[in-house]
Amino acid sequence: MRMWFVCRFCCPAAQSNSNPEWEAKVLEYFKGQLREKESHSWVPSLNDVPLHYLKPNSLVKFRCLVQDMFDPEFYMGVYETVDPSTKANVLRCGKYKDVTECGVDLNSRNTVTAERQTFYCVPIPGESPWAKEISFLSAARVVPSTSYVPSRQKRSYEEDDDDMDTQPQKQREPHTGGKFGTVNEPHGNGDSKRQETEAPSSQTTAPSDCSSHLDLNFPLPGERGPACLVKVYEGLDSFKLNDTLEIYGILSVNPVLTVLGEEKDPSLLLLNPTESMETPEEQRAHDPPASLVPRLHMLYARPLQHNNPLLPSAPTEDQSAFVSSFLVEMASVRAELLAYLTHVLLGDGLAAEYLLLHLISNVYTRRDVLPLGKFTLNLSGCPLNSYTERLYQIVQQLVPCSYRLSMSLHTMNSMRLVPKKDYVANRLVSGALQLARNTSLFLDETQLEQGQLDSSGVRNITALGNLISWQKVDYDFSYHQMEFPCNINVLVTSEGRSLLPSDCQVPLQPQVTPPNMEEYLTTIHMAQFTSQINKFRVYLSLARTLDYSISDEVTKAVEDDFVDMRKDDPQSVTAEDLHRMLVVARLLSLSLGQTTLSRDGWMRAKHIDMLRRSRTEQQKSLNGNEP
Amino acid sequence: GIVMESAAETSTAGVSVKDDLSEKCQKLFLEFLEEFQDTNGEILYQPDAEELIRPERNTLTVNFTNIEHFNQQLATTIQEEYYRVYPFLCRAVRYFARDHGNMPVAKEFYVAFSDFPSRQKIRELSTARIGSLLRISGQVVRTHPVHPELVSGTFLCLECQSVMKDVEQQFKYTLPNICKNPVCANRRHFKLDPNKSRFVDFQKVRIQETQAELPRGSIPRSVEVILRAEAVEMAQAGDRCDFTGTLIVVPDVAALAVSGTRAETSSRVTGGRQGFDADGIQGLKALGVRDLSYRLAFLACYVAPTNPQFGGKDLRQEDQTAESVKNQMTVQEWEKVFEMSQDKNLYHNLCTSLFPTIHGNNEIKRGILLMLFGGVGKTTMEGTSLRGDINVCIVGDPSTSKSQFLKHVEDFAPRAVYTSGKASSAAGLTAAVVKDEESHEFVIEAGALMLADNGVCCIDEFDKMDLKDQVAIHEAMEQQTISITKAGVKATLNARTSILAAANPIDGRYNRSKSLKQNVNMSAPIMSRFDLFFILIDECNEVTDYAIARRIVDLHFRNMESVERVYATDEIQRYILFARQFKPKITAEAKEFVVDQYKRLRQRDSSGSTKSAWRITVRQLESMLRLSEGMARLYCSDEVHPKHVKEAFRLLNKSVIRVDSPDINFDQEQDDGEMNDQNDMMGTNGNHAEEAMDTEHGAGRPEKTSTAKPALKMTFAEYRRVSNLIVFHMQKMEDIDESSLKMSELINWYLKEMESEIESEAELVAKKNLIEKVLHRLIHYDHIIIELTKTGLKKVSDEGEEPVIEEDPFLVVNPNYILED
Repeated sequence: MRMWFVCRFCCPAAQSNSNPEWEAKVLEYFKGQLREKESHSWVPSLNDVPLHYLKPNSLVKFRCLVQDMFDPEFYMGVYETVDPSTKANVLRCGKYKDVTECGVDLNSRNTVTAERQTFYCVPIPGESPWAKEISFLSAARVVPSTSYVPSRQKRSYEEDDDDMDTQPQKQREPHTGGKFGTVNEPHGNGDSKRQETEAPSSQTTAPSDCSSHLDLNFPLPGERGPACLVKVYEGLDSFKLNDTLEIYGILSVNPVLTVLGEEKDPSLLLLNPTESMETPEEQRAHDPPASLVPRLHMLYARPLQHNNPLLPSAPTEDQSAFVSSFLVEMASVRAELLAYLTHVLLGDGLAAEYLLLHLISNVYTRRDVLPLGKFTLNLSGCPLNSYTERLYQIVQQLVPCSYRLSMSLHTMNSMRLVPKKDYVANRLVSGALQLARNTSLFLDETQLEQGQLDSSGVRNITALGNLISWQKVDYDFSYHQMEFPCNINVLVTSEGRSLLPSDCQVPLQPQVTPPNMEEYLTTIHMAQFTSQINKFRVYLSLARTLDYSISDEVTKAVEDDFVDMRKDDPQSVTAEDLHRMLVVARLLSLSLGQTTLSRDGWMRAKHIDMLRRSRTEQQKSLNGNEP
Repeated sequence: GIVMESAAETSTAGVSVKDDLSEKCQKLFLEFLEEFQDTNGEILYQPDAEELIRPERNTLTVNFTNIEHFNQQLATTIQEEYYRVYPFLCRAVRYFARDHGNMPVAKEFYVAFSDFPSRQKIRELSTARIGSLLRISGQVVRTHPVHPELVSGTFLCLECQSVMKDVEQQFKYTLPNICKNPVCANRRHFKLDPNKSRFVDFQKVRIQETQAELPRGSIPRSVEVILRAEAVEMAQAGDRCDFTGTLIVVPDVAALAVSGTRAETSSRVTGGRQGFDADGIQGLKALGVRDLSYRLAFLACYVAPTNPQFGGKDLRQEDQTAESVKNQMTVQEWEKVFEMSQDKNLYHNLCTSLFPTIHGNNEIKRGILLMLFGGVGKTTMEGTSLRGDINVCIVGDPSTSKSQFLKHVEDFAPRAVYTSGKASSAAGLTAAVVKDEESHEFVIEAGALMLADNGVCCIDEFDKMDLKDQVAIHEAMEQQTISITKAGVKATLNARTSILAAANPIDGRYNRSKSLKQNVNMSAPIMSRFDLFFILIDECNEVTDYAIARRIVDLHFRNMESVERVYATDEIQRYILFARQFKPKITAEAKEFVVDQYKRLRQRDSSGSTKSAWRITVRQLESMLRLSEGMARLYCSDEVHPKHVKEAFRLLNKSVIRVDSPDINFDQEQDDGEMNDQNDMMGTNGNHAEEAMDTEHGAGRPEKTSTAKPALKMTFAEYRRVSNLIVFHMQKMEDIDESSLKMSELINWYLKEMESEIESEAELVAKKNLIEKVLHRLIHYDHIIIELTKTGLKKVSDEGEEPVIEEDPFLVVNPNYILED
């Protein structure tokens, strides 16, 4: 692969400026290359490789969520430099770069202004450890493109850099034989080159220290991983906040950036009020040290439908072949998964059935204000103590993205759930509800106790209620709120019926009462082979991607059935029940790999819903929490 | 700013650069100021220019459309070359001001342009627009303190002590290029003398694009705005303002300046900047490595509050008129609004377009629609203000589409707030979590309620709201203010808001045998503040069930847009915004009609009984007026006509009839002409309502029950069934032979119909008795059937006139009555 070409095009390009087609050609070339089989796997990933092992100006990828979008910025797409000794003028390209060469001629008539936008991107929040690990290993399996050789035995991808000794030595010779070679700047001087490549390693010896005083704005507490300023050049309008992307781009960690960012002298502000338009807070948010928040100049971004590394990621022939081969197995995997979940739910088969349906639910469309396909499950009657925590760990093992929110009074009062615009730093301060699509949000109401909710607690509870009912989060922009649609699977575990709304409540009816809950669940979990768990993981991710339809004939049958049921007893079924039963029928069919609803499927859906409802009727609400 | 610098160089470096275009512009602009006259032949800008003598004044505001009238070419040049010609225009102002007043020589003057015709969105700003005159609007999200900015510096040469005056500065600190002393070669060591330099007020603010301009799912973009001179402190955080000015580049990159001026500045030396930087902290920059990127800022000369942006989320703003709203629309937008105003089916089309996914419930849709149009707020002669906002409450069984109505309104209406009464409180800002010991369920009690000023407040589960908070809401609904006690200080905030509430019946389901009051957990005064009450009952009937099933299945499975809208949301928003500017006045004719209808309601309500005579109060009269005004606005009418009142009355009545569901109790008093009409006339009565209703539904009226025979009772549904049967038969007969039935004939027909159910003579007598009561009620209270006496059409409930009891009158169906499904 002659990927090093990427770095060279900048200069020749500047000369052929009159012909802007080269830009399109370059992008075409890269997209073509990346489309090739396995091509994406030999590009090193910022998610897996520590930053200081990546070569500056090389091609890297980053699996991430767009956390914030900054205002557009303008840059010199083409500029001219004057060599101080020879007085020769050279045209240069500013695209995919952060800083200029020396000796810019600011008065050059050849300067071309171009526009780009910066996205603040963070690793996908709540990505399950298994998903990270599998991505990591599959990347490591292929030829590592950097000198960084991961050694799993000694060093976990999560662990910090404290065991420096055991790490492989960084290759010292810059850009020799590197497949994704660094920029070969024809006019660059060797010394500054060396400086650039070495500087980061010395600066990042203790990245954990740096991050402690710089808030990287991760949506979830306790997250790690690089945050990245992604410079976007093409198709600005096609990206939305909270998109999950795999970005391929050129890594820029030029230490000069940090220097340029620091030099503003506040005393000059009075005389030169426009010299620095940014306040220190803004600067911190927008120009953090490159060693900590690298810049990534986007060449190509692939929207991610899911982040399950066990599934082919792109909708290619590969995937459809994969799907059709898996469809055959679906029913049997489902049975195994159901049995597993039944054990986990203490022998309650009906609850297991509902949990399974919940796990494959997905907002597939919106009609006006109504999100369709969402299926929030309230599992009530959960044993107290550590059961819910263990249950979450099991869910986490199955889904690629999840987060457990312990709804204690303290958390509800103190945690920031809803993202809020900070106008001083001019950025969106993230909150725990800024999540990627299809993230499993596990709300643990068993942790709640009686007491006072303060104003932020009330807002948080309201936000959770709105999330569940309408699948949207109202971001706080101080002067108004702005709603962002989301697609989050909410599971509420509680003792009585939850105070939050839900699409369906299943009171857990344990069939077994293990004396030692921890041990019981651990045993169940350990009994599963990894290959088995992997099958479940594929199953759950796949089932939600299937298309679904319903024939006119079955439609008619459903309508007739509804009218008949109401004829017998109008109280027995309401419009809302029909809504829910249609969702149940859909999920039930998909869970079996059936992409159309059959009469049988409808009857089954009706049946399990009746079973469920007979349970809830036994525990009718005593205090008016609406169903 | 390169143009400015070229001027600076003119005076300092002595390199003379002439800008012919700008000089010509200056001349023409001065001519404009000297010559442009108002309609009376006075020089329009002379008084303003004379004002500039006051020390705090320095800016002359010029209406841009005047320049266009005066000299289109001048206007075009200013527009296209704004940044370049700006200092020259300011100079023209200086000459003009000096000619008309004894201005201090050193005083700087500025020009500002108002009424610039076109407007750009923040998202559309690009480098192509640098330097030209623009107007942008946005919400101010951040303001910085005002600073003095150096505009003209006096420098002291630190080597030869020469003084250099009037070194022009533009956005950046500019030293003299070289000492003016020919023998001194100092280019770097100068000192500013602040006392002899001139400064101007300078302020930075940041504006953000409004929600209306924002593509869904994107983060709003923002831009820094630089305000100078009299434009500072015009905008506060939260304001929506228009800014007129131009885009500039930050930090200043000379190469980006307007291409037309580049040639003239080629003599410029970059030394100034570099020299300045040489003392900098880092050597790297001295090497010439620099950041490739820069940002745009907007340099504004004029700030004005924004009129509501179209499609914008601003339904109401005080200083708006229909004309100004119209002026802000594009031609296409205006045409659409006009087309809508001509739509014969507008009322219906708006309803269906507004709630495309909700089946049926047309009356509720109409009520909410009128709420969005609103009535006209008034102030009485005594100075009390009467609200124009219409409040609506929907009471309904669980899992009817109550919440969906609220959510739709929140989604649609500007500044709408959606909240749940369960977690909301107007009084406190906290809530308690309480655990129910029996069910182990957690319950939340009361939280903060945000009331949207100038908007719609959608409160779900209103009945779950704490009573003391209902009181606060009550204040908001009536006085349009809300009092908040925080840290011992009582604050009163404006809360001019319409309330759209949804409440669940007390027993979970609406009990038809009870009154509305008994069905909802709401205090009577609160209930009385709702103009309209609707009951949503999960009714069981095959036709609607099919329709509901179809609707839901469609929602889930049909890919085609199952929702049919005649008008798009933004079209309706625009239309409502426009229509809300009308302040319809009631015509004499309509007034008479209102009085008639009001009397009729009162009559029906009190009919002989002195006890419950207040049930229709002046509040319902106000409601009727508000609804009529809303109706008139819907048709963009300046006057309220009887047809508007008619619909208002119908709707009001409808919200009555829907409530009209308790059992019909035909007891003896009826014989004396008293109908114990349990129609809880909306339950929305005045403060007296509580006692009135309590006596009625409580232990009962003792003096009446004492003489009670076994009461004749009938459920409301049964009553409706019988009345529909009768009306249907009568209409059929009328259609066939165009003749009317006598009462006796009708009774006989009915009894024959019922033959199969009658087994004894006693039953027959009972049935006959019952049907007579039903007819009596249909005639005298529901006015569905009209009696014809020999003298012709009997006057319906004419005040004070004793009804002449005809032995066996002819009966006809009220031609206005439409059989319901």
